[in-house]
Formats: sequence, C-alpha cells, structure tokens
Amino acid sequence: MAWDLMFWILCFFIKIALVSSSFYQLLSLSDLESDHLNPFEASTRINSVVIPEFLLQGFLCALFLLTWHWFMFLLAVPLTVFHLMLYLNRKHLLDVTEIFRDLNNEKKYRFVKLGIYLLLFTLVLFRLIISAFNSLHDEVDEHVF
Amino acid sequence: MGTENPGRPNFPMRPSSTPFASALPTMTPFSSRGPMVGSEASNIRPIPPGAPPTMTPFSSAGSSPPTRFSDPSVPSPPITSVPSAGGPFQQYPTPPFPSTVQTTPTRAPPVGQPPFQPPANQISAPPVSFRPQSQVPPVPMVSAPQTVNFPPSSLNVPQPPSESLFSGPRPNFQPTLPPPDLSYSTTKSTFQPPFPAYPSKQPAVSQVPSPFPAQQGSFMPPPPASSSPFSSQQGSYVPPPPIAAPLGYQSRDQMQHPGSAPPIGGIQTLTEDFSSLSLASMPGSIEPGLDYRTLPRPLDGDVEPSSFVEMYPMNCDPRYLRLTTSAIPNSQSLVSRWHLPLGAVVCPLAEAPEGEEVPVINFASTGIIRCRRCRTYVNPYVTFTDAGRKWRCNICSLLNDVPGEYFANLDATGRRIDLDQRPELIKGSVEFVAPTEYMVRPPMPPLYFFLIDVSISAVRSGMIEVVAQTVRSCLDELPGFPRTQIGFITFDSTIHFYNMKSSLMQPQMMVVSDLDDIFVPLPDDLLVNLSESRNVVETFLDSLPSMFQDNVNVESAFGPALKAAFMVMSQLGGKLLIFQNTLPSLGVGRLKLRGDDLRVYGTDKEHILRLPEDPFYKQMAADLTKYQIGVNVYAFSDKYTDIASLGTLAKYTGGQVYYYPSFQSGIHGEKLRHELARDLTRETAWEAVMRIRCGKGIRFTSYHGNFMLRSTDLLALPAVDCDKAYAMQLSLEETLLTTQTVYFQVALLYTASCGERRIRVHTAAAAIVTDLGEMYRQADTGAIVSLFCRLAIEKTLTNKLDDARNSLQVRIVKALREYRNLYAVQHRLGARMIYPESLKFLCLYGLALSKSVPLKGGYADAQLDERCAAGFTMMALPVKKLLKLLYPSLIRIDESLLKPSAQADDFKNIMKRLPLVAESLDSRGLYIYDDGFRFIIWFGRMLSPDIAGNLLGPDFAAELSRVTLHQHDNEMSRRLMGMLKKLRESDPSYYQLSYLVRQGEQPREGLLLLVNLLEDQMGGTSGYVDWIMQIHRQVQQNA
Repeated sequence: MAWDLMFWILCFFIKIALVSSSFYQLLSLSDLESDHLNPFEASTRINSVVIPEFLLQGFLCALFLLTWHWFMFLLAVPLTVFHLMLYLNRKHLLDVTEIFRDLNNEKKYRFVKLGIYLLLFTLVLFRLIISAFNSLHDEVDEHVF
Repeated sequence: MGTENPGRPNFPMRPSSTPFASALPTMTPFSSRGPMVGSEASNIRPIPPGAPPTMTPFSSAGSSPPTRFSDPSVPSPPITSVPSAGGPFQQYPTPPFPSTVQTTPTRAPPVGQPPFQPPANQISAPPVSFRPQSQVPPVPMVSAPQTVNFPPSSLNVPQPPSESLFSGPRPNFQPTLPPPDLSYSTTKSTFQPPFPAYPSKQPAVSQVPSPFPAQQGSFMPPPPASSSPFSSQQGSYVPPPPIAAPLGYQSRDQMQHPGSAPPIGGIQTLTEDFSSLSLASMPGSIEPGLDYRTLPRPLDGDVEPSSFVEMYPMNCDPRYLRLTTSAIPNSQSLVSRWHLPLGAVVCPLAEAPEGEEVPVINFASTGIIRCRRCRTYVNPYVTFTDAGRKWRCNICSLLNDVPGEYFANLDATGRRIDLDQRPELIKGSVEFVAPTEYMVRPPMPPLYFFLIDVSISAVRSGMIEVVAQTVRSCLDELPGFPRTQIGFITFDSTIHFYNMKSSLMQPQMMVVSDLDDIFVPLPDDLLVNLSESRNVVETFLDSLPSMFQDNVNVESAFGPALKAAFMVMSQLGGKLLIFQNTLPSLGVGRLKLRGDDLRVYGTDKEHILRLPEDPFYKQMAADLTKYQIGVNVYAFSDKYTDIASLGTLAKYTGGQVYYYPSFQSGIHGEKLRHELARDLTRETAWEAVMRIRCGKGIRFTSYHGNFMLRSTDLLALPAVDCDKAYAMQLSLEETLLTTQTVYFQVALLYTASCGERRIRVHTAAAAIVTDLGEMYRQADTGAIVSLFCRLAIEKTLTNKLDDARNSLQVRIVKALREYRNLYAVQHRLGARMIYPESLKFLCLYGLALSKSVPLKGGYADAQLDERCAAGFTMMALPVKKLLKLLYPSLIRIDESLLKPSAQADDFKNIMKRLPLVAESLDSRGLYIYDDGFRFIIWFGRMLSPDIAGNLLGPDFAAELSRVTLHQHDNEMSRRLMGMLKKLRESDPSYYQLSYLVRQGEQPREGLLLLVNLLEDQMGGTSGYVDWIMQIHRQVQQNA
C-alpha cells in the first residue's frame, strides 16, 4: 500500500513539472508576442525545456504501463506518440527565424497540451488522494484489529 | 469619421477637405461643379492683372480678396462674388505644388473672358450645379475607368493649401466654394487629357439639381449635413466628382441610388462606359480565334498608379511604397470580398532620380518630433492647432505639445508660417538624423568580410581571380571611407585566417585545421581598417589567385569557416560575402547531395528539397542577424550546391543570393564583376530596423521578403540597400472603420555609411472606401503581383509546386468573379470577360508567375538550385524589376541598326516592346530579349549576313554558343554595344550578360528563348489565350 501511495506522489510531482513547463513556454510565447522578449531569447528558453518535457512525459507514460495502470496509460499515450512524431520529424524545436509566423499555432498547440496535462493532473491528484485515504484507512483498520 | 472629426474641426487627415466642411455647414453650393466646368476659365481668374503679384505671400491672401472681388463679382450677384474671391487665394497656397501654380498664370491671360462665365452660372444656380455638369459631358469621356480617379484627386490637390488658409480667418465666407473649384481647375491643367470636354459643358450646369445631394447622403453615411460634397470626395469616394460620372462611374451610381441617377446620364452612356471598363474578349463566340493581338499586355513596362499620388500629393513616391489598392476597405466583409492580397510593398531605400533625393533633416537640440503615444514621426499630414502650440497626430489623433524650439506661429489658415523651411511638413519622404537615443552602441563602420572558397573547383573556374580583382578595384569606392573595415577568410578543408595588421608588409596566413572546435587565432587584426592597412590588403588581393592556383583540395569546410567569420565579425556586424563553389562537405553544416532521387518529385515530400536541410543554417542565420551581420551568397557550382540551405543565410539576414551556374570566368566573369562591384559600392544602410505603422483599426499581420522579424512588427535588416523590397499584408482589427483616411508610415532606422544614425520616414495616406468597385478601380497590379509572387514562393516551401500555382489561379479567378458579380446584375455581360482597367494585366502576370523559374513545371523544367536561387531573388525584388522579370521585353533592333543616323535621342522609339509570342519573331530580324538579368540576342535565320558579319566579326558563321559579343570596328557593332550599354544603365542592379542564339539552333534556342515566350503554349503549360479562356470559364462557373 505504501508503494502505491509513493507511486502516486511521484506521478503528482512529475505532473506538476509538466504543467509548469507548459505554462512557462506559454508565458515565454506571450512575452514574445508583446515584445517583452526577443525571438532569440524566447526560442532558447522554450527549446531548452522541450526535450526534458518530452522525456518526462515519456517516462511517466512508461511508468503507467509498467505499473499496469491501464487507464492512465491510455490517456497519456497519444501525447507521447505525438511527441515522438514531432521529434522524429525534427519539428519539436521552435524555429527562431520563423517564430512569428508560427506563433499562433505554437500557442494553440501549447494551450491544448496544457489542457491535457491539467486533466491528467487532476486524475493523478484524485488517485493520489484515494490511495492516501486507503493507506490511511488500512492503517486505521490494522490498528483496530 | 466619428473618431477623427468630432475632436478637431480641422480634420487633420486630409488637409484639404476638412476645413471647409467644418467652416461651412451650408456648403451645398460648394458643388464645385462650377469651377470644374470652367476649368480653364477658372484658372484665368486669378491671373487677371493684379493677381500675379499677390501670389507669393501667404499673408497677403487676406487682404487681396477684396480686389479680386470686383472682377469676378461683377457679373454675378453680390453673394456669389465671394467665391470668386476665394479663387484667387487658392493660388498662393499652392506653393507646395509649384508646377500647377505656374502653369495657371501663364495660361490665364488669354482666356480672360470665358472664365467669368462659369462663375456666373454657378451663382445663379448654386445648389444645383454639381451633378448636372458631370452628367452632361456624357460622351467624350468614355475612355478609361481609371480616369475616374482624377476628379477627386485633382480636387484634393489644390485644396490642402486653400482650406487651411481659409478656414481660419473667415468662416463666414461660406461661399468660398469657388476656391476649391479654382484650385481644382488649376491643378487640372496638369491633368488635361482626361477632361477635354469640359468647357463646352457649361451651359448644362444649371440643369439638374437633385441628384447630387441624394448621392451624397447615401455615400457618406456619417455626417451628411456638413460639407457633404466635399467630405465625400475626401473619402476619395469617387462619386461626387463631376468627371467621374461620364466615365462609367455612373453605372455605379445608379446601382447604388437608382432613383437619383436616371434623369441625367442616360442608360446608354452608362452601358457604354461600362463596356469600356470591361475589356471584352468573347471566348464563347470566337472560340477558335480569340485574337491574341487584342489581349492586354504591359508593353510599357510597369506603370505606377497615378491616382494615389494625385489624390494625396504629399504622399511619398510610389517607388518607396505601393499599396495593392489605394482604396482601403472599411469593413471586414469588404475585405473578405477582395480576394487579392491587401497590403503594401515597401522599398525604403529605392534609388531616387537626380534632384529628387530625400531631404536630410537634423533636429539637433529639439529632438525628433514624434507622437507621444504611437511614436509616429512628424509628417505632412499632422495638423497644428492651438496657435501652433499643439499638433495632432494623424495616425492616432493624439494632441501632442510642440516643443519650444519647433514652435512656429500659424497663419490665418492654420498653416505654419515656416512651412517652406520644413521639408518634413511638406514631403512624404524625409530622413531625420537620429540623436544618441536611437543608438544602442556607437554607429558601426561599414564592414565587408569575405569568405572565399579556394577548393579546386573554385580555382578552376577562375572565380577567385575575378573576385580578387573586383574587390581590389572597388577598394576606393567602398562606402564610408576612412572608417571602412575589411577582412578575409579562405577555406577548403582547413580555414585560413589573414593577419592584415597595418604594420606588416604582407599579410600573414594562419591555418586552423581543427574543424570541431573552431577558434580565432588572433584577437584582432583579422578585421582591419581599410585605409590604414590598404597596402597589406592590396598585396593580399594581388597574391590571392596565385596562392591557391595549385590547390587540389576538393573538400569544403564551409560550416566551420562560417562560424569563424561569425566570431570575427560579431563585435561589429557588417556585410559578409560568401563565395561558395562546392557543396559543404566537412564539419558542422555539411550537406549531402539531395534532389537526385527522382521519386521524390511531385510527391508531398518534394518541398523538403526547397528547405534547408540542416537546422544549423537557420540557427546560424538567426545568430548572424542578431549580431547585425548581413550575408550575401555567391554560388558558382555547376553541380548541386544546395542553394536551399545556403540561401537561408541570405534570406534571414536581409541579403541576396547570386547564382552563377557553371561559372567560367571567361564567360560569366563580366557579370560577376559588375554585380559584385555594385554590391560593394552601392549605398548601404547598416544595422537597420524597419517598421511600418498604420492608422487605428488596421494592422500589418504578415511580412514577406528576405529579413528576420525582431518582434511582431519590426523587421531586422542588418544590411539593406536600394535593391531590396519588402512586402506586407494588412488586416482589419475592427469590423468597421469609421475614419475616412488611413495613413501609413514606414520608418527605417539605420546607420549610414558616413557613420550617422538616420531614420528614413515615408508617409502615405489612402482613402477608406465602402465600395468594392472602388477598391478594384484603385488597385495596383504591380504591388498585387509582387505580393502574389512572394506568397506563391513561400507556398512552394511547404507545398507542391502545383498547389502554389493553383492557389494563385484560384485567387485571380475569385477576384475576377467578385468583380463580375458587381456588375452582372445590371448588365447583360453574356460571355464577355470583364475586369477592372487597373487589373488588366493581372491575368498575364499570373500566367507569367506560374511560368517563372521558382514555380514552373516540375522536376525537369528547372534545376533545383536554379529554382531556389530564383526564389530567393524574387522574394527581394522591387516591383519594377519583378514585373520586368515576369514579362521581359522583346525588342527588334535590326532596323534601327541599319538606319543611317539612329541617334541616342530616339532610343525610346527603338525600344518598342513586342508581345512575347513566337509570331513576334521574324526570321529576317535581330531581337533582344531582356528580362533584367540577361540579354538573349536572337539572330533570325534569314537575317542579312551583313548584319551578322558586322556584329560578330569573322566568326559569325560559327556556332553561337561559343561566340561572345564584343565590339568590332564598325558602326553597326558600336551601335549595338551602345544600345546594350544603355539598356544596362537603365537597370543597373544586375548585369545582363548577352547570350547569342541563332534561329533553329536547337536545343539552345528552345532553352534560352522559346521557353520564355510565355504567351505561347509550351509543353504542358497553357498559352495566354488558353489561360484567359480557362480563367474566364472558371469565373463563370459559379458566377
């Protein structure tokens, strides 16, 4: 039982990292749009977190699979595949030179991604609470008996 | 309107109209017709004996009226006299438009009498006058729809001065109307041709009262009451102007206000006008033989739309800024019905002809006057109020304070009294000297850095020698002496640096062979001041060709060399000239041969071949831009060099790609020499940024050309010169624009070669319209084609060539269909194809575009490299050059060569362009085909051997591909060379190399010339006639 709890706690933190990375990218993009950031800096900032984000998301997905959490795995797998596809087509990084042309699409893409992350995040949170409750309950039970 | 008008009576926007309107609510009489009618006459008015002297001083205007009064007033009722008085005034204001003014005085005296009459007419039937006249003239003006523009424009022209003068001092003079007329007429003098019929019309004037007002009301939704006629005109709304009516403008009128129009115009004229509008070709009926000779062709080259400048005489010249239509739509719905691109093409540094240079203004202590809120620069369209203490920004209409040192009193009409000493307040294009606030660092010196490939193929082609010689010969002319800096790196499989320290006798070469970890062997002295190290540089250039003549290295460490150059230059920025002869093969950024897999062509993956292969190039381009380095790529190889990748460097740094396939110094040396020399010596703007501002409610949303965006609307241009143009598209942010005029301001902040930081500002105004027909009428084919071209080329980077061509065609079809629908209801168009006069060449250019190198055919029609190079070039071409490239000139010259005394003065006559069809070629003739990049000289099979012998010397019978043209010692040859020289001088941005070809010499003839006769059917492509039919059919399909 404690393992389960720890697993969900781990997922919880990974999710937080993913959500914040997504948020950070969006923020950089809107800074760029409002001219608080030049394209060189914006693209370096964003590009520097893209790969870690992909890895983390892939790792989480694998984790779900390995721990036999089918439902969560199925929710996470499309995004992972999408990431993989981007990576293989070498389209995962922002193109500095055309950044303004792609700006709207990139923002949209990241908004959607943020939405997915948030959804997964709430699910993870939910599972975390359940498992925390369960483990607590078990302990209580053990004490009782 | 709402926004602009209410606040300020003066109506800054269009100087001309507003003042009046505000002053005289009753304006109706204003009708201006009167003047129009008597256009000639009116001119005369002012002239009367006394007049001339008064002309000069502004202030005198006030006093002078009385004198004037007497003459004009005599014939007419007391009240009316006023107007006439106004007339004279007008003239003074004109100073800005000296030409018109001057003409009037001279003319006037003779005419004396007639002028008077018109006024009288007016007077008698004041309210009425407008319409009638316009309609009266019916017949004569049938001609061109374009003319429609004139009336409003001409009106406006005079007004600016007049209104300002008058409005202030004497509001009560409502009758002032005449002034407008007068001025109108005066200005008209210039436009005479269009209105020949006028004078005769006069009698008619009194006729029709009603129509006009009615129209007005309908046109000008917002403030009908005040100044109606005028304001509507301002809007550039064609309607009111008298002239317009005859021209077929009427048809529109009627459509909109069926009730009002009928009495006068008569339906016949209407239809006539219309048909003249619509160039009818009847594909249906004459299917087999739609006569190709009747199709419109731009044989006069690019004609800049005149309406724009005439309507707003203070606009910058169209060579700097061209709008795709100078009638900006007022609503989203209108935009969505305008299927052509809506935007502008800007060439900020276009070469001005002698005497029209952009004035340089130094505000020194005052600082540059700009709007506090939107940062607009002061320009001719700002208005001064509050006795000269405030000025209102024309773009955001904010009231700004006038700094103490810039203060000047206003004269009676609200104009600054120092206007004639303030070019920034009269000229659409000015250059401000920028103070230190506009610098992030001290202005950089002009800097040229050369990155030269010295591998075996470069040596063999002779490129190195030509480059070294050319650079050496240009050393004296490099701009920016004595601050100019220069440096060199050569590379093959290693990178060679040259220490050019001024104390050395000859340069020291340092070789770096570690390509993975590039370092710069010396901290400085790789980049030296030219004037100090002149000797070393010269020694280096002299010895460069011999240094590597035995080099057998075939590798090219281009990427590392580029990085090295970047490291050397990053302190200062500047211009990097890359001479590349082989495919980069070593180190970072190495490229592989691609494009030889035929299976890729025609599939969805094809476009990848036109994109840079390695992200290194894009990243590098971004870094170069960041450090203010502009790259020009010279590529020479006969084999694949991946221009798509190399060109990326030029594309994002505001540079240019020069491509000399299979370069041989013997053949192409001259071309390289000229183009390199021009690149080195033309005036260049360094570390520049450009922004275009426009009025509230619209926004530029996309930019097209060779540059990188620094922020959403800021173009970073490390090095920019007169041969580069940029295009942009705009969109409406608000669903409905309520103003009547919109302003555009292009500002280019740059460092001049002399070390001064400057801001070049071009300002232009355009009318906002509510009518689609007007947009079409004021369209500018050149700008539209330029935008189309850029959009299509961009599309080839993400789609198949086919898709790019189709989308082009679809847009043309949609536009024509929309235009057809405008008129289809009223007129039985039948099978006629109609299009606005202003767009008569659109179809042809569309065809030319889809047959141009970057877009044409498929795999076999153009080498991949050639395609990419042409694409990069066309993305930067100014409108004029682009149109010439799309529809080159074909000129027959044998007759003029034979003519005994063909002198320079009839050069123009000789240069008569022929349609690009095979029928134009007569086998007894000699022709020059000139697309701005090369000459192809075509020898007819039956050309008299005399001519051929004289021109080619002894080898006239040889195969022409081996023959080069040079001067022989006879008159004919000299004349031909003179002719070529003239042609080249008229278009110096590229050097046109002559290719000789004889009729029937296949496949050379086919490749060089026949393919380029774009009106002919060739292979799978359609000819001009088919194309028109095809478009016509599609237009009708869902019409």
